[in-house]
Amino acid sequence: MDIQHSDVDIVIVGGGGAGLRAAIAAAEQAPGLRIALLSKVYPMRSHTVAAEGGCAGVVQDHDSHFDHFVDTVSGGDWLCDQDVVDYFVEHATEENLRLEHWGCPWSRKPDGRINVRAFGGMKIERTWFAADRTGFHILHTLFQTSLKYPSIQRHDEFFCTDLLVDEGRCVGVQAIDMREGHHVCLRAGAVILATGGAGRVYRYNTNGGIVTGDGMAMAWRQGVPLRDMEFVQYHPTGLPGSGILITEACRGEGGLLLNADGHRYLQDYGLGPETPPGSPRTKYMELGPRDRLSQAFWHEARAGRVLKTRRGEAVQLDLRHLGEARINERLPFIRELASAYVGVDPVTAPIPVRPTAHYTMGGIQTDIHTATPLPGLFAAGECASIGLHGANRLGSNSLAELSVFGRVAGEQAASHALAAGVPDAAVLREQAEHNAAGWEALREADGDESLAAIRDALGESMERGAGIFRSGEELAATCAELARLKQRYQSLGLTDRSRVFNTQWLNAIELGCQLDVANAMAQAALGREESRGSHQRLDATARDDQRFLCHSLARRADNGDATVDWQPVVITRLPPGERHYGEAGEKPALEKRA
Amino acid sequence: MSGSLKVRVQRYRPEEDDAPWWQSFEVPWSEDTSVLDALNHIKDVEDGSLSYRWSCRMAICGSCGVMVNDEPRLGCKTFLRHYADADEIVLRPLENLAVERDLVSDIDPMLAHIETVQPWLQREQAEAPEAGETLQTPVQMARYESFSHCINCGLCYAACPQFGRNPDFLGPAALTLAQRYNLDSRDEGREARMPFLNGEDGVWACTFVGYCSDVCPKDVDPAAAINQGKVASNVNYAVNLFRLLRGGDDA
Amino acid sequence: MRKPLPPRQDALWWWRHPAYRRYMLREATALPLFLYALCLLYGVRELGRGETAFQAWLAFMESPPLIALQAVALLAVLWHAWTWFQLVPKILVIPTRHGTLPGHWLRLAHVVPAALCWLLLPLLAWWALGQFAGGGA
Repeated sequence: MDIQHSDVDIVIVGGGGAGLRAAIAAAEQAPGLRIALLSKVYPMRSHTVAAEGGCAGVVQDHDSHFDHFVDTVSGGDWLCDQDVVDYFVEHATEENLRLEHWGCPWSRKPDGRINVRAFGGMKIERTWFAADRTGFHILHTLFQTSLKYPSIQRHDEFFCTDLLVDEGRCVGVQAIDMREGHHVCLRAGAVILATGGAGRVYRYNTNGGIVTGDGMAMAWRQGVPLRDMEFVQYHPTGLPGSGILITEACRGEGGLLLNADGHRYLQDYGLGPETPPGSPRTKYMELGPRDRLSQAFWHEARAGRVLKTRRGEAVQLDLRHLGEARINERLPFIRELASAYVGVDPVTAPIPVRPTAHYTMGGIQTDIHTATPLPGLFAAGECASIGLHGANRLGSNSLAELSVFGRVAGEQAASHALAAGVPDAAVLREQAEHNAAGWEALREADGDESLAAIRDALGESMERGAGIFRSGEELAATCAELARLKQRYQSLGLTDRSRVFNTQWLNAIELGCQLDVANAMAQAALGREESRGSHQRLDATARDDQRFLCHSLARRADNGDATVDWQPVVITRLPPGERHYGEAGEKPALEKRA
Repeated sequence: MSGSLKVRVQRYRPEEDDAPWWQSFEVPWSEDTSVLDALNHIKDVEDGSLSYRWSCRMAICGSCGVMVNDEPRLGCKTFLRHYADADEIVLRPLENLAVERDLVSDIDPMLAHIETVQPWLQREQAEAPEAGETLQTPVQMARYESFSHCINCGLCYAACPQFGRNPDFLGPAALTLAQRYNLDSRDEGREARMPFLNGEDGVWACTFVGYCSDVCPKDVDPAAAINQGKVASNVNYAVNLFRLLRGGDDA
Repeated sequence: MRKPLPPRQDALWWWRHPAYRRYMLREATALPLFLYALCLLYGVRELGRGETAFQAWLAFMESPPLIALQAVALLAVLWHAWTWFQLVPKILVIPTRHGTLPGHWLRLAHVVPAALCWLLLPLLAWWALGQFAGGGA
């Protein structure tokens, strides 16, 4: 089989925010290194582009790193590694400023200083924004900045299929050159995975079609644990039907959530008392954390107090009182999206919204230096679980995470690559041929199962069993269904036998990844018999710090199935406490400095 | 509001075909069905071998540009309901670019042109983050902000007959990006970019057809950016001429 | 293996879309103006060759085909000026304290002087001719 081999120093898989930031960091730290940036799409297509609302970083005089730390740790229901959170809050602002120096058009105050907006679960306004296209501007700024480093060699539309491992060390990757249709093997001293999340395992999600958990699955297949996979964030405001994201910034700017009766129902779920329209208050009502808001919707839907629209159940996000000028200044993209995709102009009518799967808090296990347990393999961004988000991520922490830990990954990988050197070629040749033979067999698959049918069944099953509220019974059913789907996947039938841009083949590889990642999610969720953050069990409604103040680690067993064990959480200065929002959050207990 | 519509797609499979050919499908639609949804329906149900690019399905990633009835459009932001009265929808890969397969075009020429104009913020002295932000008022930002909204979808290249005639023409997106940085109050890279703008394949290769701005899905108005670039190019020429006449050695 | 189909711009691309046809119409306004300019140059030459030649040129210019050409040239120049005024706001960005001068102002700032010229120049010419004729009497 014809496989092209080449040597580089660092391979970065994924050209989104984390991958680009890592590439720049590595190029700046060691300009002599050859850095290969592989991405299955052109970098500016990566899903970072769709992040809207903002990017956290302490900047106001009355704000502090400690406040950001407390919000993040309590928002994550104490499942965050506190050393990681400390490092994060101390470096987020610096990274945002670096983006500013690279040209990111952050929205400004009239005097030219950086402006910040309120965001859910954040006590003080610290969300930097570029109107409501923050992710877009960060991604394009990073992409354009990366162009000035000649040592960053882009391999656009290279679909990474495997990690190459030799003697317990990650020594490169294997990929399909989508345009040429052949396999390539890139040996490297260090590999960074920055492949994003896996939201597409759900039927209704805010994610792009490419968000299929490929990197997570590749690491998993090499025995690297996936951590905290049961924590999947439902964003409270997606468009019904399509799931398109309607940013939290709508609420940060003062938007209201109303049920079918026009009632601001969040006050009935521990987030009140009601704040006056036009005067949003941090950590109250609409500015509560995402898990609580999505759960409130679920209860409202059960009580029949939601709108039944053509596109499904929904509540109303009312922005009308903000006025046209403010909407155009702060939320122009939301106006464009609502008009195009549900035919609603938010200036004159409320936008129908509902929770949809949005973000995988968990991912490839890494330490605080972004290193995975597999030497030579690093991971950053949504694909990684560095321990920042715990059981529920706060909006605007993930964009900052891309820069903070993307940079760490780039620097760590550069150091590692300098020390490790490029591995021996002969061993990898055999491994690469074995891998390629497997993918070639998949391309020729002639079973009778349809790709779309398995994909849709996966999405439905995850929504049913691993949604906003879960139960042991439903999770077990989903696990069983996933096992059946994996079986059906073995009898997949593909119709396209070609190699050049064979997207059916690539979709089939992605589906295999999705099935593995979904399995880890469901198994970890089944194992966690408590309710914490985004993981709410109807059959174990309380948080159980005795048994579950720990990370889950889903590992691949020899038979391909998942086993789950547990890892302690790093707690440094904020002992586990009660998580309160609204008036209840004013209790002094939480404010006590450790 | 619903129905079904004939969708005719240009096919080209490089390993089997020497020339493009047409394939027709009958696609059911409802009020929300986009051209991208139609393609996904075809791939799932009718013919799995049809290839096209897509990802975000919310008009921000820029992947799914295609010719819809001879107009360059984003598949995800074009709805079948608008063609309910038409006999059919005809889908082709983007004009003026090579076809890799089916609806997948080769956008590397556009990317190469974008790289040419050095689209990154240039400062003579790089600041450390500790120096804080470079001040920029909302009025200063407004000078370039709309030009920074380009998603690199390539529709403007498909719309530009000058790029069709001369693929070396830097084209709408690249020249807009150059202008975006030239107008940024924080940038000091204008001198480095002007040679490309002034050059034979720079702003003067544009004849102000203006269709690029009509098709831009993000209202970037590249025609405006390029023609403002012509003004800048003239000023730059005059300044250099003045320097030359004064005997400066930096002209 | 990759085997891209190269792009090909066919000779009739400009007919394919109304936007292109409008563009070609705008650019085509140069043709009647070019012919009219040739006529004028010819007139200058005839003027130099004496009164008889010049009178013949005047007669030539008053012939129906030439009247038609001048009418077309007039329409062309009006059309071209109009399209140009429409495009001006895209090119001319005049910063003000709170942003930039709005496009309709810029357009107005072009249309009004142009209209004034159209009105005043013929009047001026008519007056000058009167002076000339009067002086000759």
